[in-house]
Order: sequence, then structure tokens, then C-alpha cells
Amino acid sequence: MTASGRTSVLLLRLAAPLQSWGDRSTFNRRETRPEPTKSGVVGLLAAAAGRSRHAALDDLAGLALGIRIDQPGSLLRDYHTVSDHRGQPLLSAAVSARGLQKPTSPAKHTHITQRFYLQDAVFLAAVEGPAELITTLEHAVRHPAFPLALGRRSCVPAQPLLLGQRTGPLQDALRAEPWQASPSVRKRWGRQNGNATRIDLPATLDDPAGDDIRDDVPLSFAPTRRTYTTRRTSHTYLSAPTGLTPDPTRPPSTGGHDPFALLGW
Amino acid sequence: MTQRLYIDVHVVQTVPPANLNRDDQGNPKEAIYGGVRRSRVSSQAWKRATRQHFDVQAPQSERATRTKRLTGELTTRITQNTGLEREDAGRIAAALLAQLGLSQGKKAGDTAYLLFYGNAQLDAVATLVTDRATDLAALDDKALADTVKELPVAETFTTGHPVGVALFGRMVADIPKLNVDAAVQVAHALSTHETQLEFDYFTAVDDQNEKEETGAGMIGTIGFNSATLYRYATVGLAQLTDNLGGDTEAALDALDRFVDSFTLSAPTGYQNSFAHRTRPSLVAVVVRTDQPVNLVSAFEEPVPAEAGIQANSARRLAEEHLTATQVWGDTPLYAAASHTFTTRETRTKDTVETLTQAFGESVAFADLRTALRARITTAVGEQA
Repeated sequence: MTASGRTSVLLLRLAAPLQSWGDRSTFNRRETRPEPTKSGVVGLLAAAAGRSRHAALDDLAGLALGIRIDQPGSLLRDYHTVSDHRGQPLLSAAVSARGLQKPTSPAKHTHITQRFYLQDAVFLAAVEGPAELITTLEHAVRHPAFPLALGRRSCVPAQPLLLGQRTGPLQDALRAEPWQASPSVRKRWGRQNGNATRIDLPATLDDPAGDDIRDDVPLSFAPTRRTYTTRRTSHTYLSAPTGLTPDPTRPPSTGGHDPFALLGW
Repeated sequence: MTQRLYIDVHVVQTVPPANLNRDDQGNPKEAIYGGVRRSRVSSQAWKRATRQHFDVQAPQSERATRTKRLTGELTTRITQNTGLEREDAGRIAAALLAQLGLSQGKKAGDTAYLLFYGNAQLDAVATLVTDRATDLAALDDKALADTVKELPVAETFTTGHPVGVALFGRMVADIPKLNVDAAVQVAHALSTHETQLEFDYFTAVDDQNEKEETGAGMIGTIGFNSATLYRYATVGLAQLTDNLGGDTEAALDALDRFVDSFTLSAPTGYQNSFAHRTRPSLVAVVVRTDQPVNLVSAFEEPVPAEAGIQANSARRLAEEHLTATQVWGDTPLYAAASHTFTTRETRTKDTVETLTQAFGESVAFADLRTALRARITTAVGEQA
């Protein structure tokens, strides 16, 4: 963040039975990334602030984003059919001389699409930017102009969505925030790990020197010219408090032996 | 509208063995939540059921039509309004619609393609000329075209959408200008408890069977489960009013009918095999000035099977609502509920008490709708 003046961090808990964070899906196969995209989070903030699809996004897209994976969830494939409820044939991709879609020939009445969701996932998203902007956004998320969704309209966030504002760098805010996984997941993990006080959680951070490139920074949400640009990110592990009380009768745990953590998997 | 109102609708509904919404294997849809398998009905499936219920109940003026005979329809309305001769009314109608720049069809007066419009929109266009129809009819074609040019015909067609479109939205791929953002948001319905997929093995006997031929004419399986579902939808009143061209009365009507249709509709998948025609055991409406609140986290820890799932689900929902209100300190503007639990049974006594604490005494569903409408009318009045 190069902006002069004070910066602040907004923490969002992205949890719901279903979420879906597409980045390049079109047509019949609507995929999801394993974690929230920048366009998804920026879109949520823009909707909260009541910006139209044509409104400028530079300030929001310029915010630094960090995502901590508190509970990865699993992939759900949803089989979905679309038909015209009046029983008329669906329209084809071909366009007539007037620029209108032609009906399918032979007539096709049902359109099959696959939609992918993340089920039972919990993420912690941190957004860092100028303090005034973050304060405005915090108020907006608390009083959203449009109903908010986690990547897709039907993915209504479970409460609480807003965890509030933090000072200090984004990484510190992500490290300090207690583990947000569901009680049953935390309990099971605690049994296996002697209720260790800290856990290493995978995280993806905006990082100009990062190794990965993601094509999910929105330039415009206008329906006729949706465009995205790239950002550099780095993938890391952050140690976060589990909120569990360690069992004094058991030897202190290292927070779970995970040989693959070394490989960055 | 300075303050934005959201109307949350929470429903707890038990469905007996059924298969409301199936996947490509023919089995009921499912999802994992809180680490366990749940029955799921997609938001799209329930929205379709809601829409169909909604359309059937709609008064004629609010229905939408798709037709090429737009000019004729408009002519009829102008004649009815003014008592002009049909020929004169036709000239005025043609002049008004010329503004839209629609391509002409093969038959005179037809548009080249089917136009989808709301009856209310066409009524509004017709009323634009009611006062001065006689003057207009006296003008020649050119003068007529020039005079009606100032009337907001195109604007009338892009605002005041049919109520169904205002609620559920519309996507027109080739004319983005006609897209409408939905005012309702519907979550996937999830069971409040763990479910297992079960299979009904069936055999069908051939009635005309010869004596020697034993066995079935056909065998197969149908997947099913039974579930107590948590259903949630929220309506953004500001967006709804906006979609209806700023007409608050129309928005209140639409909201009222949406609450009715969302509550009483159900997808009809395998209806004839399972007859899953149930009514909700709890409907709660919550009006909020801050943000919509989905209470699904009440069921992240699944309701245990042995404890009376329906009553426990309702109690948990009420508790979650109370906790959320206490913790976040945002008291809703209004809350009310209709439910079927009674204090006469000891098993449901706690449930009723918690529900009363959260949403007040249970009222009949018709009264719930009336009270909701009255409360929102007051709220909107205070803001104005």
C-alpha cells in the first residue's frame, strides 16, 4: 500500500453453507476457486457501498487483500437445468441479421449447466487501505445497499460477516485473529493436537514480489465490458490463536505435525 | 429512501420422504455443512416454485405478456380511455411506439419480434395521451409524430417493470439496458440435521401377466430423504421500489405477495410419488434497517435425530436470532412469527417460550402479512 497517511485493515469472516468464487468461468460450467477471489471480495464491498456496476472501482481494486483459509471446505458439483417456464424453445448462440438470438433448431427445451460450490468453508479476508476508505466500507458492510453474497447470489453469508477494523499491517491482523473454523472442526482438531494454542493456517497475500500471478483484479463490472487484470500473490502459512485451552496433562504440542507444510502444499 | 429496509423471511418446514430437487443421478441434492451430510434444495428450484405460485395469484394488470401485437394492444387501451374511434387511436398508438424504433413485422402494425412487457407498463403509456387524445387525433401524421416525441414512452418501458421481474430480476443477453437486478435473494434450503440418502426399491407388476410368467415387469430405485429444512430469503425494499419505478405501494404489494408465495410454495419434483405437500411449521419475518441476517449458523451443529427435530430446529432459530441481536446490538425494526407449536405439549413448551421471546406471540399467517405491511408502511412514511 503506497497511499500516504494512515492505513487500516478490515476483517471479514466469509462463511456460509455454500460459497462460489469463479474467476474465468463462462457458459455452462461455472467453477469456483478454492479460495475467495479479489474480484469477489471487491464486488462484495462495492455492493455494500451501493456502487452501480458501471461505477469506478480503482479505489477498491487498489486495496491490498489477504485471505486466510480457516476451514477449506470441499467441492460441491451442482447439476442445474434451465428451461423456459412457458415451454418455449431456448435461444441459440447464433444471431440473426438484426442482432437477435435465434431459437434453437431443432428446438431445445432444457439447458444443462454445472455449477460448482465450496461447501462448509470458512475464510478470513483482510482488506488493507486508507483509514477513511476502510471506515466507510466498514459502515457499508454493516448497512449494505444491496444484499451481500459470497461469490454468487444464492450464497448468503452466515453471520457474523464483519469482524471489524484493525490497525497495523495486514499480515499482523491475520495472525492475531482467532481461528474461525466451526466448533466441531476445532473440537476434533483439538482432540488430535492436545488443544494447542496456535495453529498454522494457509494464507494467500497480495505481494508485489510474489511468485504467483492471479488474473482476478476487476477493472470494471459493467456487463458489457467486464475486464480483469493480474496481481502478484504469495502463499504462506500464518500462525493463529486457536482459542482452545491446552490440556495440562498432555505434553505440549507443536500445533500438529504436518510434513507437507514444509513443501508449501 | 434514506434508510434501507430489508425484510428477512425464515421458514422451518418439514418434508416427509421426498425428492424435491434432484441431481443428474436422480437423487435428492445434498451438501455438507457443519461436517455432516444435509438434504439441500437449490435456491433456483425453490425460486421457480415461488414464481409459479406468484404468477398464478397475480391480478391481470400485473401480468406480463409477450406479443407482436403491441400496437393493437395499445390502440385498445387508448380507445377504452378516451372513446376515440379505433382508427384515430391506432394512429396515436403507432406514433407513440415509433419512438421505440422497433422493426416492423410482415403484417401491418406488428413488430418484427415478440416484445415482453408488463400490462401495467402499457397502461402507463396509454395514460400519457388520455388528456389530449382528441387534440392529437386532429393533427396530421407529421405534426402528430413531432408532438408525441416529447412524451416519455421509452422511459415508461424501462421502468415500472412487471412485479415478477422487479422481484426476481431479468437478464437479456443482447440488450443489457433491459436487465433488472433482482430485489430478492434466496439461499439454498438446507436440512437442520444430518440426513442419509435412502433408496426406494420398487417393482412394477404387469397387470396383463400370463400365469406362467412370475416376477416383475420392471424394477428400479428412487433416491429420497426426509428433512426439516431451513429456508431463508431476504427482500431489499429499496431495490424493489426502484425496480418498480419508485412506486412504494406497488413495492408493498409485491413484498406481501412474495412473502405469501415463498412461504406456501414447494418444488413439485416427484410430487405424484411422494405427495410432499406440507406447510411450514414456523414462518418468521424480521424487518431490519442495517443488514439482512441469515440464521443458518443455528444449524451448523446438526440437530440430533432423537430430540424432536422440528421443535428443536425452531427453538434454535429463535435462540440464534436472540443471540445475534444481543451480541451485535442491532435490534430489528420489527419481528413477528406464525408457528404451529403449542404450550399444551410439554415437549414443545420451551420452543414456544423461546419463539415468543424472539418474535412475539404467534399470529395467524394472514395477520402476519397484514401487520408486516402496516409496519413497513409506517417505516417508509417516517422516512419520507
